[in-house]
Amino acid sequence: MVAVNLLVFLLLAPFYEGIIRRVTARVQSRQGPPLGQPYFDLLKLLGKENIDAGGAWPFRLAPVVAFAAMLVVVSIVPAAGTATVLTGQGDLITLVYLLTLSGVAVLMGAFASRNAYATIGASREMVTMIMIEPVLVMMLLLAAIRHGSLDLAPLVGGGAEWAWSTVIMALVSLVALQAFVARQPFDIAEAEVELLDGPYIEYAGPNLALLKYARMLKQMFYAYVVVAVFMPATGVAAVDLPLQLVAVGVVCAALGLTGATNPRFRIDQAVRFYAVLLAVSLGAVGLVLGGY
Amino acid sequence: MTVEGAGARVTEAGPDRIDIEVARPDLQAGVRAVVEAGARYLMGIGYDDIERDGTLGLVHTFSFDRDDVFACVRTRAPQADPSFDSITPLLPAAGWSERECADLLGMRFDGHPKPKKLVLADDWPAGVYPLRKEVPHDLVPPAAEDVAYQLDAAPPGTTTVPVGPFHPSLHEPAHFAVYVDGETIKGCDYRGFMTHRGIEKLCTTQVSYNEVPFIAERICGICGSVHATAYAQAVERAASLAISRRAEYIRVLMLEIERIHSHLLWLGVAGHLIGFDTVFMQAWRIREPIMWLSERITGNRKTYGMIAVGGVRRDIGPEVAEDIRGVMDATEKELRALRAAIEHDTAIHRRTKDVGTLSIAETTRWSLVGPVARARGVDIDARRDHPYAAYDDLRFDVPVFTEGDVWSTVLVRLVETFESIGLIRQVLDRMPAGELLVAPPEAIAPFRHAMSVVEAPRGEAVHYVITGEGNRPERWRVRAPTYVNLQGVPAMLLDEQFADFPIILGSIDPCFSCTDRVTVVDQSSGRAHLWTGSQLSDLSRGRATGA
Repeated sequence: MVAVNLLVFLLLAPFYEGIIRRVTARVQSRQGPPLGQPYFDLLKLLGKENIDAGGAWPFRLAPVVAFAAMLVVVSIVPAAGTATVLTGQGDLITLVYLLTLSGVAVLMGAFASRNAYATIGASREMVTMIMIEPVLVMMLLLAAIRHGSLDLAPLVGGGAEWAWSTVIMALVSLVALQAFVARQPFDIAEAEVELLDGPYIEYAGPNLALLKYARMLKQMFYAYVVVAVFMPATGVAAVDLPLQLVAVGVVCAALGLTGATNPRFRIDQAVRFYAVLLAVSLGAVGLVLGGY
Repeated sequence: MTVEGAGARVTEAGPDRIDIEVARPDLQAGVRAVVEAGARYLMGIGYDDIERDGTLGLVHTFSFDRDDVFACVRTRAPQADPSFDSITPLLPAAGWSERECADLLGMRFDGHPKPKKLVLADDWPAGVYPLRKEVPHDLVPPAAEDVAYQLDAAPPGTTTVPVGPFHPSLHEPAHFAVYVDGETIKGCDYRGFMTHRGIEKLCTTQVSYNEVPFIAERICGICGSVHATAYAQAVERAASLAISRRAEYIRVLMLEIERIHSHLLWLGVAGHLIGFDTVFMQAWRIREPIMWLSERITGNRKTYGMIAVGGVRRDIGPEVAEDIRGVMDATEKELRALRAAIEHDTAIHRRTKDVGTLSIAETTRWSLVGPVARARGVDIDARRDHPYAAYDDLRFDVPVFTEGDVWSTVLVRLVETFESIGLIRQVLDRMPAGELLVAPPEAIAPFRHAMSVVEAPRGEAVHYVITGEGNRPERWRVRAPTYVNLQGVPAMLLDEQFADFPIILGSIDPCFSCTDRVTVVDQSSGRAHLWTGSQLSDLSRGRATGA
């Protein structure tokens, strides 16, 4: 099943990126690139030269760690309620740690590059992580409390019981999703016009391809988690998986739509926004503990 | 008004200009008297008079906006001791003009707060002053190594973020060293003029009066007609040449088409700078028909080549007039929708309100012009204050807002675009019949001074022409609006967030090429495949119209 997971995520992540780009283009009265364009982008980068700007080992290691962490994440996630060989080896905390590891690797690489823009971008990314990772924890915690266990299998198995806390958390996670995947208006760390891609500025070629691929995987994973936790499931994997993947496509289209209709936040504005999200998600966890 | 300086000689140089000749030691006193009388600083002009009386001349120009009068404070210094008292401590907006005179003519300004190079490259040899008459226009001095501009020291506790020379929020080469404390900007230093073309020198040595408008158009990729008109007006004044009313109306038409085009372009860029590319795409989609229209009127999408000394070069026939009306109606409709979308978008408010705020006092102190000034409560517009072409015949409002932030500059430009559409309709309704081009006189008397202003979309462009012998200007000085507005940017940036740097700089609609006075030439990618003209045209038209 690990192979199925890896295959589904690795094959489809660029496709969902393509959907987002296409939706954005349509909102902007453009035709947009073909849906397969992100695959070509990755292939093109893989054929280019790796430029070792920083010369420091964290810089070289960062893309591999970020990508590997995402591979492990998608290997242990029980897609469509089906546990893989590795699912039992990890739990909710492992999952959060792995996601954070992927993010931290990017930060280390950015700081190691000693580029002024990368440094500013990385410090913005750090603030974002500190503020937004707890929302993810709350989201998973809510499901864990409902199921009374930190195990992943029942947690991401779909079919959450609908109660007030679940409704609130579903809304919070849909909004937070935009921030999790750092799409507009939350692409603050990359901020093209002032920071020129921020943490990624010094990367080129295959290293950049790995980082981009890791981001696409992360994007698909977060979209998938939201769908899997909150969408009702039949319990038959062969039916659930295609349905979930279609739902992920819808969620990605919504990501593109939100991105295309909002200007970028400033980091201080974003922090206030995250604080509200965090407070609401804490409230939802409080509700579930109170039995609502 | 009374302007009295010790030993000043005041002459009326025309209905709307007074010249004040002061002795060198009285320069500051003269300038102070003019400023206290309520004048706004425009620019400083230096010129080389060594051949005639062994001196270097300096003119500081001012505008009395309410009275439609320009004041020129003139003085001179012998070549052997070309030093003047700096007026920059009194008028910060004069800082660049004085540094430019120092670079190009070898003048010295005692008491200048920042006596660094401005225009010349850092490796330019000492003692060679390009605007002196003895220096040939095509001089290429050998490059020196290890010479670099010394940027201001960063304030303690800050780090320096380099923005430029090539940076996505600049679009043209210029360098800002931004001193940030965390995300807060604590100061900035500017080094620009990296692609100075020496157009002024070229036009005073190589071409004739009537060839200059076509070079003037190339000062800026957007405000082409503005610079051509301003130059042509200055020469017409010097030659006392009256052009036909019809030509004046057609000039207004071209200037207003340029304004609509420029404001839409800016709106798009502003959207991009706050990370809102949808605004960018939509504004540019609305702008595209304006460019096709320009091509149908003049043969060119931009850089129209319409203006000549003595009038304009093409007529607006009844068919073209109908075409213009149609495009204006369509543009107005689309623009209304865009305006409604922008005005009610709280997300845009979030990024532009209370950003880049500057008080009226600071705005006046830096002599800021155009939408930047009008968004900060300074009610100036050259079209109304110093009417030229046919603007005295036409009705239009000058929008002024007082919040003084980036959002107000958005509003000023949006409202102005509708005013421009109204102006174009009035031009089409009221344009009289008449000649297009009046032949200029055989020879224009040399050494006459003339100046003219034109309200460019970005603010007021000022041209100063000293007529010369040999059918070409003796000295021609251009001051584009960005030249003054850029000097005020550090004040706008102070204590703002670094994330707002692009939009604050963008809010002045910076045109580095006007300021540097440069053209940018795209070099082909070197691909072997060649497109024919018709293929290219089919390609662009077919794509753009969706055919």
